[in-house]
Amino acid sequence: MTVEVTLTANGEQRSAAVEPRCTLADFLRVELGLTGTHLACEHGVCGSCTVLVDGASARSCLMLAVQAAGAEVTTIEGLAANGAMSTLQEAMRDTHAFQCGFCTPGMLMTAAEFLRDSSRPDERAVREAISGNICRCTGYESIVKGILLAAERAA
Amino acid sequence: MTVTPASRFVGQSVPRVEDQRILTGSGRYIDDIVLPGMLHGVFVRSPLAHARIDSIDAGRARSMPGVVAVITAAELEGIVQPLQFPMEVANYLRPVFHALASDKVRHVGDQVAFVVAESRYLAEDARDAVEVDYDPLDPVACMEHAKDPARPPVFDDVASNLFYTETMDVGDPDAAFAQADRVVRETLVAQRVAHVPLDPRGGVADYRAGTGELTYHATTQAPHNLRQALAGHLGHPAEQLRVLVPDIGGAFGQKALPCREDLVACAAAKLVGRPVKWVDDRLENMASGGHAREETLELAAAVRDDGTILGVEVKMELDQGAYPYVGLLSPLFGWIVRTVIGSAYRIDSMRWALDVYATNKASYGPYRGPWAAETLARETLIDRIARELGLEPVEVRRRNLLRPDEQPRKLMTGPTLEGLTSLASVERAAELVGLEGFRAEQQRAREQGRRLGVGFSTYIEPAPGPPDYWTSIGFPAGGERAVARLEPDGHLTVMTTQAPNGQGHETTLAQVAATEMGVPLEHVRVLHGDTNAIPYSSMGTGGSRGATMASGAALHATRAVKNKVVSYAAGMLEIAPEDLELADGKVSPKDAPDRGLSLAQVARAVYSAPPDGEEPDLRSAVFFHAPRGGWSGGTHCCVVEVDPETGVVTIVRYLVVEDCGSLVNPAIVDGQIRGGVAQGIGIALYENALYDEDGNFLAGTFVNYLVPTAMEIPPIEIEHLHGLSETFDEVGYRGVGEGGTIAAPAAVVNAVFDALGNPTDIALPLTPERVLELVEQTAAMP
Amino acid sequence: MTSQASVKPPPFDYVAPSSLDEALALRAEHAADSLVLAGGQSAMPLLNLRMALPATVIDLGRVAELAGIREHDGGVAFGAMTRQREAERSPLVQSRLPLATQALAHVGHATIRNRGTIGGTIAHADPAAELPAVALLLDGELVARSTRGERTIAAGDFFLGVMTTALEPDELLVEVRLPGLSGRAGTAFLEVARRHGDFAIVAAGAAVALAGDGAIADARLAFTGVGATPVRAREAEALLRGEQPGDEVFAEAAERAARDLEPGSDAHATSAYRRRIAAVLARRALREATP
Repeated sequence: MTVEVTLTANGEQRSAAVEPRCTLADFLRVELGLTGTHLACEHGVCGSCTVLVDGASARSCLMLAVQAAGAEVTTIEGLAANGAMSTLQEAMRDTHAFQCGFCTPGMLMTAAEFLRDSSRPDERAVREAISGNICRCTGYESIVKGILLAAERAA
Repeated sequence: MTVTPASRFVGQSVPRVEDQRILTGSGRYIDDIVLPGMLHGVFVRSPLAHARIDSIDAGRARSMPGVVAVITAAELEGIVQPLQFPMEVANYLRPVFHALASDKVRHVGDQVAFVVAESRYLAEDARDAVEVDYDPLDPVACMEHAKDPARPPVFDDVASNLFYTETMDVGDPDAAFAQADRVVRETLVAQRVAHVPLDPRGGVADYRAGTGELTYHATTQAPHNLRQALAGHLGHPAEQLRVLVPDIGGAFGQKALPCREDLVACAAAKLVGRPVKWVDDRLENMASGGHAREETLELAAAVRDDGTILGVEVKMELDQGAYPYVGLLSPLFGWIVRTVIGSAYRIDSMRWALDVYATNKASYGPYRGPWAAETLARETLIDRIARELGLEPVEVRRRNLLRPDEQPRKLMTGPTLEGLTSLASVERAAELVGLEGFRAEQQRAREQGRRLGVGFSTYIEPAPGPPDYWTSIGFPAGGERAVARLEPDGHLTVMTTQAPNGQGHETTLAQVAATEMGVPLEHVRVLHGDTNAIPYSSMGTGGSRGATMASGAALHATRAVKNKVVSYAAGMLEIAPEDLELADGKVSPKDAPDRGLSLAQVARAVYSAPPDGEEPDLRSAVFFHAPRGGWSGGTHCCVVEVDPETGVVTIVRYLVVEDCGSLVNPAIVDGQIRGGVAQGIGIALYENALYDEDGNFLAGTFVNYLVPTAMEIPPIEIEHLHGLSETFDEVGYRGVGEGGTIAAPAAVVNAVFDALGNPTDIALPLTPERVLELVEQTAAMP
Repeated sequence: MTSQASVKPPPFDYVAPSSLDEALALRAEHAADSLVLAGGQSAMPLLNLRMALPATVIDLGRVAELAGIREHDGGVAFGAMTRQREAERSPLVQSRLPLATQALAHVGHATIRNRGTIGGTIAHADPAAELPAVALLLDGELVARSTRGERTIAAGDFFLGVMTTALEPDELLVEVRLPGLSGRAGTAFLEVARRHGDFAIVAAGAAVALAGDGAIADARLAFTGVGATPVRAREAEALLRGEQPGDEVFAEAAERAARDLEPGSDAHATSAYRRRIAAVLARRALREATP
């Protein structure tokens, strides 16, 4: 059985025919070639696969592609507009937020939603917001500082 | 006229080169690699800890949609050579094993077959259809089983599960214990943990039958070592074998050695004639990617009542799992523990015993500071000594740590210690945490029913370590190569043996080279991860060598190119080289800075018409030794609050006083420290790669294996000491990658025990349940 | 779990009804071998790990009539497909069901709550999930529908075992009704988990309402993580009624509640530990819930 899934990925309408069991993560990575979204557990715990679906963060390994049909999906590749990094990305660069980069896509999408929905967050709120994203390299502090810096700059 | 000095990048937290691709999602990790015609391979893995393989029926699997091949040990015979540690080592049993299990499976997750199909989904479907007939054997599920002669051997060709044993007296332990006022004992059971890089292991094997070239894209920390191993075990000419390293999402030692899966994937690509990709899923990485740290140590310290340590007795048992890591022997980690356990302390006598057991578990391998048991054991023992004598733990450290005027001094096991600032780091840590004030606060809290505790952990790590350290442990790490090359446009390429996986080498090595060459940072490119292009190294990235060895090699290679540039420019300008200087990308006479040549001009001249009798390229290869090596180290300090009713531990404060010499990029250094501390906290409180008594693996997913999140890891304060001068070994930088993971567990354990009183033995992790037992234990004490 | 588990779902047929009637017809047709996909936060891991091997997956995501929050009996009724995030942010829920709001903060992480549904987590009935305990404490009602009709099941009769509910194979949970608490009632929901956002090792929910003279008019106490199903500590509640609130009486009630528990042991905690901290959390929750 295959289904034709059409969705908007980073502002562009894209389509592919897949089995219904194809996860959104694999649809993005394999069918659409958007390998920025990473898979590190595929059972919904690590958060590396986080994308935005109609503006709400979602673990793309816990969605079937067909569930996102007709939706607007934003991935890490969609954060930078016209090659210029977003405020969030620049702040993360300035605080040396990341090391190996594998958790980065999930962290950025989670942070993007959090910053959009909160005003003047404190450190505790930031840590809670990213508590569903596992990082093995940084000990989190540089990421937290990056998010706080982005909040400050966007204010 | 003013002379603009070369800009100094070293010592600045310049933004990382890597971040452009990482932050925009354009990194290229192993699972992002897609080649035309590529197939996906998945391993059929054993659900049993120990069993004979009676038969493998792949008939149904082979006929399923999209399946191209199902490969078993039978298909690999003659194609992949059996594996065995290549040298005879006294007292060490060296079993022969295979890339795919042939006669027996030896741990849950041991690989039995390799299913190759058009997609990962189809490969998993077919995997479910492979029928393996197992005949279960009694499992050797722990070291107690391994000691039991009634249990079967894990490897039939070596009839014992005691893979290695040694005993040794260093100094005069008899005298030490005879002179002691008392003996303080401790048993430490350190649990098995897993590396958990978020990016698991994997490879893409690309074989071109027409040319015989095999290109293997691999998540490896040591590309040349992998290339040699593949060539040797596949019987494939090394000159037709190329290893390419993509971006790696973390490794921590799990990817330091070739793995059996690498051999299977490469053999499969040759057999099916199409590229083959294999990538661990998380369950595989947890069960089969390799583990670390499963050791039990029984310790005794001969002490005087004033806290002076006269000597120690250490009995160490290590559970190495079943298969050895390819090319590595697990006793090595015991040897490093033995060598370094004296650390920065005045400890000159030791009675030592090491036993290494094979069990039906995944391989025990190197994990960020693989010898860390020595710090965990010693630092918790020191706190126990303090508690039994009624002394401050900081005071016991003060009385036993080497002073600067006592150095250089040799460890009781031989290696030279110099430049250690451990004593200063303890004092500073105590100062920063406000120890006196904390004791008062702790007392007040106790009266309110709250339990606060503070713990210290002082450590040193060979980073890279003096030459006599490496000879002591019998491991030939040696020097490191680098190549620097000036391009026709005047930009610099530095080729390094490092295979970065988060350490930021593309940035730090560029900082070193750009500073030396006097060019903008953007004019330096660091090339890595291609065995066709990079110089040889057996070690690659690991062992906290990057800061010293790679930087030193890059520095000297660049300096050699710089000297060539000046020499050629001298000829072109007809001025003596000593009257020229290179700054801001120009070679100019010192007394006429506007008369100079740009690097591009010199390069183009040399590239188009190399001068007679000289080397034709602006290229230099160096082999850098760190003649004195060096130690990094410091003191960690942790403050915790223990909930005495639930056993939940909260880290209230964590600080690090670290001495790793000069810093190339302070932000990157601090990131390494914090990441290491987070792993250490995980070891102390959360992580457990647990097997049950039947050898079933209980930590196969992230639901059961608990990696700390941003809510469990506190802010980590860091202060740097700079004990050695910048000119030590010509590069003042020393490694720092492993220290956090080495030191943190003891700091946390000591803090918890300080909160509770004087609990007896230590078994990690300190789960809330275990802590609650300790609360009861200490409440019952007089 | 053996290491042969996978991370890609097995093949299945997929249907996405757009009305409740259509969904019920499909559920009836595939009663023997279908999996209902609501938010997917519990179902997808089962599919990915191939712990569930359904022939058909029925995706309720397009059945708009199943979502919605409305007033009910002093409390709130949730359409089964109401996203947890919507419930968390709803002023109606915050004012009428403070206990639910407190419990929702412990349910996974924000991203999970974006997709996870109220009905989904109730129907999934994980023994360490928070919302089933809330439903039990509030004497909630679960509305089940099939092609055969509709029935209302009391929360006390709904949770039968580990991931087992009273729902028949051809039924769908369509609504979760949580009545409000009368009088001056305070609530608290306390949890011990290994990490923030993990499933509870044990959690306790409490509600305390006081009479005019300050005595306890009504007390409710429920646990999750303490066995195959959430548990309501009715004997402990009876002990508290009429008493003046205080640490001693709370401790006594907590001990009474814990005594009856038969929690399981797993890799994270033993039965004995769970029973101990159930008592601790119950005592603390009762104190915190007291207005």
